[in-house]
Amino acid sequence: MTNTKLIVSHAPFWHNGDSLFQQNLNFIIALIPAALFGILHFGAPALGVLTLATSSAMLWEVIMSVLSKKKVAIGNMESAVIGLLFGMMVPATMPWWVVITGTFVAVILGKFVFGGTGGNPFHPTLVGMAILTMSWPAFLDFDTAYVSYQFDFTALAPLVALKSQGTSALASFSNYNLLMGNEVGGIGSTFGLGIIIGGIYLMLRGYARWEIVVAFIAGVLITATIFFALHPDAYAPPLFHLFAGYTLLGAFFLAVENSSSPVNRIPMLIYGFLGGFMVILIRNIGIYPDGTVLAILLINLINPLIDIIRPKALGKGVSNA
Amino acid sequence: MIKRSLFALSKPKLTYDLLDTSLQSVDEIAVPGSLTLLLPEKIDSAKKALIGPGDAVKRGQKLKLYDDSTPYVLSPVAGKIKGFDSYSDDFGNTATYILIKPDPSAKGDDQCAQTDLEQTLEFAADYLGQIPGELPVSTLTNPNYDIRTIVVTGADTDILCDTCQFVCTAYAGLMVAGAKILKAMTRADRICITVPENLSAQVDLDGFNVLRTSDTYPSNLPAMVMKDHLGKQLSPGMTPEDMGVCFIRPEALVSLARTYETGQPVFDKIITLIDKGGKRCRVKATIGTPISKIFSCFNVQINEQDRIIIGGPMRGHATYTVHHPVVPDMDTIMVQDRDVIPELSDNACINCGECIRVCPANVPVNLLVRYLEADLYEEAADRFDLESCIECGLCGYVCRARIPLYQYIRLGKQELLTLRENA
Repeated sequence: MTNTKLIVSHAPFWHNGDSLFQQNLNFIIALIPAALFGILHFGAPALGVLTLATSSAMLWEVIMSVLSKKKVAIGNMESAVIGLLFGMMVPATMPWWVVITGTFVAVILGKFVFGGTGGNPFHPTLVGMAILTMSWPAFLDFDTAYVSYQFDFTALAPLVALKSQGTSALASFSNYNLLMGNEVGGIGSTFGLGIIIGGIYLMLRGYARWEIVVAFIAGVLITATIFFALHPDAYAPPLFHLFAGYTLLGAFFLAVENSSSPVNRIPMLIYGFLGGFMVILIRNIGIYPDGTVLAILLINLINPLIDIIRPKALGKGVSNA
Repeated sequence: MIKRSLFALSKPKLTYDLLDTSLQSVDEIAVPGSLTLLLPEKIDSAKKALIGPGDAVKRGQKLKLYDDSTPYVLSPVAGKIKGFDSYSDDFGNTATYILIKPDPSAKGDDQCAQTDLEQTLEFAADYLGQIPGELPVSTLTNPNYDIRTIVVTGADTDILCDTCQFVCTAYAGLMVAGAKILKAMTRADRICITVPENLSAQVDLDGFNVLRTSDTYPSNLPAMVMKDHLGKQLSPGMTPEDMGVCFIRPEALVSLARTYETGQPVFDKIITLIDKGGKRCRVKATIGTPISKIFSCFNVQINEQDRIIIGGPMRGHATYTVHHPVVPDMDTIMVQDRDVIPELSDNACINCGECIRVCPANVPVNLLVRYLEADLYEEAADRFDLESCIECGLCGYVCRARIPLYQYIRLGKQELLTLRENA
């Protein structure tokens, strides 16, 4: 053993085994119940959109890595999660070129231009969704997307119906139906129960910070309750807001994205609550039927500002020193 | 290795190991055919050296490189100086290896260099700074410090290690005697000892103020002991010594007592060897014994790309050579197989916040590392609490992006010191 070459590195010499791959793998596992339901519900086109979104997102990452001469890092599956989430938010009938454009914006404008993994100030998927909402709202119109489908429930997008018809439309949507996915919407965003199960799994595994999720849901419920209590005839009840549209997906999977959300406890609570608050403000007062995408982008924006609220470090501000 | 638990809502908990009671005896290793002494001073070819190859040395002889140098080592054996080599540690500080060939034929009174040992701090600083356990003489004699409290680390500071606990229980009498000697030498009026709260061994600790520390890492680290038990929070950049507290290994007290009892310095260091399977062996080896000797005694096979860690898994340091000698502060040697060495990466921080939740000092590691990566050390210290770090290594342990966070922080502190010295 005279000239054995040893590995020399710095402490700590142990690691708890966590990695980016583990994190993203767990996100994908947690998304599977909702995604599977979407495929069963909306058929082969949904499978097509999900796979195209996931694979194209990964492909964009490879292309950009090669172009910018960076290490190809699709192995950590971050782009796969971005793509999968994108696919789950769009209707099953979205044309292929819109999907590819959307993932292009998400991966490249949302993530890569900011320096890749860890650098994005916004959730990349939401950047893609927001650009699509502005550019081609017609392809995100859930009412026209599913005209050729035969459903045994009201084939109206709940939030759009609420916006256009007012609270009279609410009669055709029961909370149970919304929770069980008996509504039209994004491929993976209709099955509330699946999203909740996946989200709770992710929280228990520690990959989604529970403070953000709980505060987000509390923000939605409290704000919606205030509106509903003041004008029950003009605004929808809180549980409708919670189960309709992207709210659950936003609370459990989108608001918790690491690099665009705070890490200290009080900021996490503020961040989540403001997110829920903004969702309801946009829905009830704004012009968009579903405010989740924009609300989360807005709280992403204030993340660096509020994350400076943090506990004092050891020995700071101590008088005996 | 302790893995992330399946349910990770709360922060991970690493616990200290209690004394391994199955190991009652210590295996002694004979003095090898060649000893290597580590002298923390680099060779300066411009100066005239006091010692050179071929010089005969006595047991207990003080070896210094130059007339004006303060660092010294004591030769543990009578013999001959074979040669010198240079060594550099993980921060690039250079030191000197002195190779000594023991001469077993040397006998009688001329074997020992110093016989009358005075019980004063000045004498101890001049002669006993390198006894096993490393008596912190430079701290105790530093006129800038007013050391009033001495804390004996009866509870090991790193996980897996139990050498200090072993010394405390096996040599309690000597330790108490050593503490009395030290107390008489210094101005300290209070001697405390940290003891793991779950340690069941009954030890008579006469004259000690016993501090029962929790089993959760890092509660045995000096900064945490100061905060939890002595009611003193370290301000950023301050050391326990600045606040009049000196931390000392129990083995230093034991060696001190033995030295004055026998009238000559002692050189056998107690080390716990943790092999690849996590099995412990207790070894008593002469200071200067190459660690390869210990491995061959216990049949620990060292292969290419294994890792030899001196100290524990959270705070130790890896050595690049199996010829590294046993030094006075070496409590634990741990061998890691190449297959279990965790991979590090050059990923950017993803802001997952694991380090924030685990940090016992509330350092904003996620922001700090961005500044450290950009070499902005002053800013890191001013705005992001670089100096509040108590160096427990938990941030690097939990980092999801596998960034060597603890390395960045220690490098940052080192660079900051250099910046301030040059300013």
